[in-house]
Amino acid sequence: MFSHRPQNTVLETLPLKTTTMQMMPVMLLRVAPAVLILLAVTLMVLHRADTLPVGRLRVAVMDTIAPALTAVSAPLSSLIEQIEGVTTIRDLKAENIRLKEENIKLQQWYESALRLQAENQSFRELLNVKADPALSFVTSRVISDAGGSFVKSVLLPVGSRDKVQKGNAVMSGHGLVGRITEVGQQSARVLLITDLNSRIPVIIQNTRTKAILAGKNQDLLKLERLPADSGIIIGTRIVTSGDGGQLPPDLPIGTIVSAGNEGVWVRPLSGISGLAHVQVVNIDIDQTLATGEIIPPSFKNKK
Amino acid sequence: MLRMVGRWGLALLVLFILFALSAVPFEVPHLGEIRPVFMLMAVYYWTILRSSPLSPLLAFAIGLVIDLLSAYPLGMHALVFVAAQWLTSSQRKFLLGQSFLVIWAGFALIALGAGALQWALFALFNAELLSAKPMLVSVLLSVFLFPLLVLPLSLAHKALADDPSSMP
Repeated sequence: MFSHRPQNTVLETLPLKTTTMQMMPVMLLRVAPAVLILLAVTLMVLHRADTLPVGRLRVAVMDTIAPALTAVSAPLSSLIEQIEGVTTIRDLKAENIRLKEENIKLQQWYESALRLQAENQSFRELLNVKADPALSFVTSRVISDAGGSFVKSVLLPVGSRDKVQKGNAVMSGHGLVGRITEVGQQSARVLLITDLNSRIPVIIQNTRTKAILAGKNQDLLKLERLPADSGIIIGTRIVTSGDGGQLPPDLPIGTIVSAGNEGVWVRPLSGISGLAHVQVVNIDIDQTLATGEIIPPSFKNKK
Repeated sequence: MLRMVGRWGLALLVLFILFALSAVPFEVPHLGEIRPVFMLMAVYYWTILRSSPLSPLLAFAIGLVIDLLSAYPLGMHALVFVAAQWLTSSQRKFLLGQSFLVIWAGFALIALGAGALQWALFALFNAELLSAKPMLVSVLLSVFLFPLLVLPLSLAHKALADDPSSMP
């Protein structure tokens, strides 16, 4: 494979006298690795010190590459689906029986949900409660999860033209998986809740205790800033508090799985790794203005 | 001139395929975390076989694009790739005469070094030690997949390099 004769470098193959004149452009570009390493270190330091418009640069690259990644990831995605289809065909019969049983159960749930909704509505009318602003959803495929071992983030092929905004919550299946941190015209980046930089204001559902849910670059999330006597019970659900106004309140995130000397740990309801589709949750500002509903103060200044 | 455009075109195509491989979601839990470092394979391979004065700059540029796209600290991949390119280039003369097994072992060392460097840089940047396990698995996967990836790379290289007019 490597046995044939190596190619000489451009500089070696040229006669000496023509080198200086003809190779000027190449000479100029021939930067010593040491200089490049120094440049890279400088970039990292400047990035850490927040003096570079890294966000804007990322959005520019994201928007440029998103169409190509969309084109590449679509066939791969359908290939994976087909492979999964083949493996599950054997289990189709058992699956069918299970689904029928589940359907009967869900019908019962549906009936009781309708009953509760009607009851809730009448109570709301009695108490004269203003409803929360309407939420709108944008469903999107994931086109890239290039984060590798140390960064947990994914790219979506939706952007400002789809009314996606910075700070929007991103859900998958049953729970919150992240929030939008950068938005381009046709792409957006989601910082997943497992990332080291993710901090979500949350509430422990049964006690209404407030805390911060921090990503630790692993499957479980850690509850931080908990009051000392918060009476943690394993299995309790954690939901968003809506504090800070970035995320809507009461979006489910996960359940407490362990509490001890090493802190309180939460398992997300949705698998955060290997996402295929997600929903971007947006408070529909137009609709809330039209209907005169209460708008959280933090959303008032947004476009 | 046309050949040169063709060569660069093919090189860019290969780069894009490798890049897509390192970016598209696999939709399988945890596979993304242990994704092999495909771009490092390209940097290593081309440094040995097609070294040019532009190689360090190219490695830097590839790294920078990955940093921007995957939300890494700006310059981290760039630094790792340039360092890997530099180290490989310093051993190029030795590596060229060796069997494939030695080249493979060389890649294993470079990949491990690059992974360790990245882990250390990330810890420094975030002032927090992270588990090195996913990185180690990723390095291991990269080493196992290296021969598979180098085969098409080498065929493409031969198809381009076997120009009768440039034969000795």
